[in-house]
Amino acid sequence: MSKKITIALAGNPNSGKTTIFNNLTGARQHVGNWPGVTVEKKGGNLKHDDYEIKVVDLPGTYSLTAYSLDEVIARNFVVEEKPDVVVNIVDASNLERNLYLTTQFMELGVKLVIALNMSDLAEARGQKIEIKHLSEFLSAPVVPTVGHKNKGTDELIRAIVDMAEGNFNLDRVTIGYGEEVEEEIKKIEGLIQRDAGLMQGYSSRWLALKLLEGDEEVIKKVASEKEV
Amino acid sequence: MDRQKILDQVRRSSEHLKGIFGGDIETIISERRYGFISGVCKQVVMRPMEERLTTSDKIDRIVINRVFGIPIFLFFMWLMFKFTFIVSEFPMGWVEAGQEWLSDMVGGIFPEGSIPGSLITDGVIGGVGSVIIFVPLIFTLFFCIAILEDSGYMARAAFVMDRFMHKIGLHGRSFIPMVLGFGCNIAGIMATRTIEHRRDRFTTILVNPFMSCGARLPVYALLIGVFFPEKGGTVLYSIYILGIVIAIIMAKIFRKYLFPGPPSPFVMELPPYRMPTIKGVIIHMWERGVLYLKKAGTIIFAGCVLVWFLSNFPWNPQYSKDYDALKQKAEADFASGLVTKDTMDETIANLGNEQAREKMQKSYMGGLGRIIEPVVKPLGFDWKIGVGLFGGFIAKEIVVGTLGTLYAVGEADEESTPLRERIQADTWPDGKKIFTPLTAFALMIFTLLYIPCVASIAVIYRETNSLRWPLFAAGYTTALAWIVAFIVYQGGRLIGLG
Repeated sequence: MSKKITIALAGNPNSGKTTIFNNLTGARQHVGNWPGVTVEKKGGNLKHDDYEIKVVDLPGTYSLTAYSLDEVIARNFVVEEKPDVVVNIVDASNLERNLYLTTQFMELGVKLVIALNMSDLAEARGQKIEIKHLSEFLSAPVVPTVGHKNKGTDELIRAIVDMAEGNFNLDRVTIGYGEEVEEEIKKIEGLIQRDAGLMQGYSSRWLALKLLEGDEEVIKKVASEKEV
Repeated sequence: MDRQKILDQVRRSSEHLKGIFGGDIETIISERRYGFISGVCKQVVMRPMEERLTTSDKIDRIVINRVFGIPIFLFFMWLMFKFTFIVSEFPMGWVEAGQEWLSDMVGGIFPEGSIPGSLITDGVIGGVGSVIIFVPLIFTLFFCIAILEDSGYMARAAFVMDRFMHKIGLHGRSFIPMVLGFGCNIAGIMATRTIEHRRDRFTTILVNPFMSCGARLPVYALLIGVFFPEKGGTVLYSIYILGIVIAIIMAKIFRKYLFPGPPSPFVMELPPYRMPTIKGVIIHMWERGVLYLKKAGTIIFAGCVLVWFLSNFPWNPQYSKDYDALKQKAEADFASGLVTKDTMDETIANLGNEQAREKMQKSYMGGLGRIIEPVVKPLGFDWKIGVGLFGGFIAKEIVVGTLGTLYAVGEADEESTPLRERIQADTWPDGKKIFTPLTAFALMIFTLLYIPCVASIAVIYRETNSLRWPLFAAGYTTALAWIVAFIVYQGGRLIGLG
């Protein structure tokens, strides 16, 4: 009996996500549309030891707001389909901008694995990134990869499987928003936690933050009085 | 319906935050995320990411520089304390004057020597007043801290101190509560809420009382004014530094034995610099300052009334001499031409003081003092100091207030020369002076280290949600205070000081 794992690949446009996707799945790909919209949905499969891994390639996005269709699709997939692991492909040579999306996944509270892609390019520029610390700070394993040379793919798969099996024990890091904002978050979270319907799928902190940010999609869902 | 409640709360929160930050919340939140990211990158990337530097990056190059970072921080701290003391000097004078005026006016309403008159002027106005005097100082300090926080500098200070804090098993985020502790330990302890991990948070809470808060300042001011008038600044600085050193040592010990575990991963956020809004700064200052006012209105008020009661009752004790008869005799001597008017006035004043002193000795407070004296005697303290320290548990300012009351002089704040003179003149039964510079120094150290005030203890209880930690904090600080004061006093005597 093989075990099934579903993973979602997420990352900024131009982070080398497609290359990683190809490296992971090889020829076993299929292309379709996301339900209801004409945005391309790519999926694929791979086998590793006893595991059958289903890979879903999310649209390339910089964030997970409600402002663009791509972002809403990526977000809804992660929240509603609950993949076992989200693999966030991060461009090492453009770390600062790429990590914004990472913070979004951290706040969603998903099981996260970071593929630090194009790490050769960063090194060529003389940048040294401390993987261990980065991993601690993001509370996720970080695997250096070089997509176009197919480097780090095996390590990435191993990290994904370990993560799915719960073999990583990392202290969860929360992004602090300063005393005042935290106080308001706490008030809103308190109300959310009393609402069983809202507590399915989302972390209360993420919901509170999105509400404060004025995320229309989330506000609509909360106002709809249905289960989210 | 509950959903509507959530959305209403969100609207209220948004309005509130808009008021503080003067901008839209989405921007604030994403700025914080970038601050987090910027902190991550500065800590994990060995070389700057891109040469595309923002203004914030340019400022950061200097402010969080490895070499200049700490000197710059120390300079800002020095500037802050300096500014606070200069600016608050005048309003403090006004508060003091207002208080004297009020005391005289209210005192005039009641007949001399009546119980309600004594309660209101000595107990309430004198006691609470000695605390209210410090309100301008506290507010100014909080004003400065709010500017440093809102501008984004405080996050840099924490970043700069992060490496140092790691050495004592904590991290940069524990640093801000420590700085706030200089204003008021309650504010400091409450600020630990931003620390996520229990082991870091509890360690920070337990050592926070060693940050010498504003309430201890009157005690130092009184003693330094009498015994170290020349070297006041140095002595004061040494007390603050001693507090910091002990906090560091204790943090290290707690982290090793009470809360073991690796330092938790922690990202120092570096949000971009922004111009603080006046409204935001005022709100911050007010939220913290009001805690101090509340403390004066509740706990200190009750404490002062209690100290007043204990030191004034029994109201008419059995005196060893008939003071009233002796006073009448002095008047009669003057009337019959035996003595001059000056001599009569002096005799009557002396008798009055002697009577007040005897009354004090026979009061409940005096009884309490005799119980305490054997404990504090090895530190060079007599029963009056012991009682003062006992009162200081209610609020550290009360040490001064109580000494003032015990030395039977009307005014008890640190400006009053009579209290200063009396402290200097007071002797043990064998004729040796009680107060020497050495005793004074030991007393300052004891005041710095011993039991946190009752309000701090209450906050420790609330923040740790268990009785264990406030009790532990009360016990270990007092034991430590006794040991350190003992070493200083006895050691000082051995090498011939005092």
